[in-house]
Amino acid sequence: MNEVMGRILLVEDDAEDIELTLKALGEYHLANEVVVVRDGEEALDYLYSRGVYKSRARGNPAVMLLDLKLPKVDGLEVLQAVRGNDTLRLIPVVVLTSSREERDMVASYKLGVNGYVVKPVDFHEFVNAIKELGVFWAVINEPPPGSVAKR
Amino acid sequence: MQARNHAQVIEGDIAGRPPPVAGHGRMSAGLIRSYGLAVIWLAIALGLGLLGQAHGLNRVQTPLFMMAIMVTVWYGGAGPGAFAVLVSSIAFAFFFSEPKHSFEIHADDQPQFAAFVLFALMIGWFSSSRRRIEQDLRRARDQLAAEVAVRTEQASLLDLTHDSIFVRDMNDIITYWNHGAEELFGWNAEQALGRSAHDLLRTVFPTSLEDVHAELLRTGHWEGELGKTRADGTALVVFARWALRRDGEQQPLSVLASNNDITERRRREEEIRGLNVDLAKRTAELEASNKELEAFAYSTSHDLRAPLRHMAGYSELLQKHAASMLDEEGRYYVTKLLAGARRMGRLIDDLLAFSRIGRTETQSALVSLERLVREVVVELERETEGRDIEWKIGPLPSLHGDRAMLKVALLNLVSNAVKFTRTRARAEIEIGAMNGKPGEVVVFVRDNGVGFDMRYVNKLFGVFQRLHRAEAFEGTGIGLATVQRIVARHGGRVWADSVLGGGATFYIAAPKP
Repeated sequence: MNEVMGRILLVEDDAEDIELTLKALGEYHLANEVVVVRDGEEALDYLYSRGVYKSRARGNPAVMLLDLKLPKVDGLEVLQAVRGNDTLRLIPVVVLTSSREERDMVASYKLGVNGYVVKPVDFHEFVNAIKELGVFWAVINEPPPGSVAKR
Repeated sequence: MQARNHAQVIEGDIAGRPPPVAGHGRMSAGLIRSYGLAVIWLAIALGLGLLGQAHGLNRVQTPLFMMAIMVTVWYGGAGPGAFAVLVSSIAFAFFFSEPKHSFEIHADDQPQFAAFVLFALMIGWFSSSRRRIEQDLRRARDQLAAEVAVRTEQASLLDLTHDSIFVRDMNDIITYWNHGAEELFGWNAEQALGRSAHDLLRTVFPTSLEDVHAELLRTGHWEGELGKTRADGTALVVFARWALRRDGEQQPLSVLASNNDITERRRREEEIRGLNVDLAKRTAELEASNKELEAFAYSTSHDLRAPLRHMAGYSELLQKHAASMLDEEGRYYVTKLLAGARRMGRLIDDLLAFSRIGRTETQSALVSLERLVREVVVELERETEGRDIEWKIGPLPSLHGDRAMLKVALLNLVSNAVKFTRTRARAEIEIGAMNGKPGEVVVFVRDNGVGFDMRYVNKLFGVFQRLHRAEAFEGTGIGLATVQRIVARHGGRVWADSVLGGGATFYIAAPKP
């Protein structure tokens, strides 16, 4: 796993969502930039370079796309851990969720999220949203120092 | 008898005390009368003595003078008594002891004269002491009578009050029982007096009787709630106030107990407490079910949307990927799949919005409905584009309420009006205010659209209830249910009026701000 590297960290437990997201990003040739982790614990393992990610290449992702409803450690807890850690706190985080609930939104923004995107049901809209997110954060935006460099 | 006693009390000089109220003139008049009487009695005794002497009776003089002295002392007191003794001694020496008609007394008669004077003095002294005792007794009796009168009056005053008051001695024996006590406890004074108070009333103390008594003796009073029982056996709760009465030596004498009936108050308090417990329980239940509902809505939001998104996503991919392999019918099926997924997405969104009305806190502010309606009309521009709509937006009142929610309600009503007038060449939509019940604001949204059958008006505001086929007018059937819920949360009501094919009017009534 030490070759795992990418500018987009996708934290998502749903296999279909992962596939659709990768397909959407694939249309803009960003699929190989994506590291997929399936729950909050794995996300933190990746970010802290521990467990199976002990020997991964150094560097923070240029953006983390974070689902909120996750097994074990949920998205808000991941966000809290990231914002509480000196080396991780600068990582841009975009919440990508099904939830339109206000309290989720408020909690996310309070924890300093950089964006909050509700996954559209319509596939066109979904693809557009993912594409724009990927392009903006992985290509257009200058990531904070310490992030994985563009290939 | 009474009047004379009274006069003597006023003269009052025997005991050497000044008379209590008499003026100076009255005192000297009394003195003159006492001395005058003394002179008269002595004159009578002297006259009778001389009369006796003339008839050779020489032994009646001494008793006559003694009688005069006694009578004088009795009615006149010590002063006139002493005067009588002096005068009678002189008269006796002058008229009746040898040699007569001189103040000299024969040596033979001197012992007899001395005995006379001594005897006169003794009579005077005895009489005056006797009189003093008598007078003291009378005074004591009068004081007692006066005190009894005062006490009786006080007791009758105590009797007038409706408060229950009784007095018990330190052995708990009832010594006073007022009318209020009779009314409260059902025992009359005759039945209660002499009985033990705690036994009679079956008193139940909040703490031990010893504690209560200790406090009473220490502080002189005690108050608290006591359980009592009436004569007819019904239980009472009274608020009792006890005051300890002490005698001159500070020894506890009796306890004055006043009792207020608080049974009814207690009962109501109990009732209220019971209701509060019920309420708390129900609130907790409601909160629990609200939490459940919230959890349900939350997971609906998350979990129902995901598979839907997958259906839509893969259908889309299928359409793209296999379009060339599918015939017309196959492609039609795929569009139906996509439309279904989209519709379900809308349903979920609307349902969530509907459930959110009940869950979110409302923020109250004065909201101008007119401004809100104009905003709504602007927001609906996309739908009204290319349509011929005549808007009539009358002066509208303001309401106290949650702006966002009220906007959702108006948006639903106005967009309905826009939707159901679609078949009209020229749509007329009027939003106005009218008079309602006192204290109410009524706003209506009227259109000249297709209307609905009043037979189904009761179904109009139900969730997922639709009175038109989906192909004719799209919609999820949640809009009017949402309106009703929002208005209900603002303490108002909604109703509708229509003629099938002749337009519809929807009314919102809400409390005046």
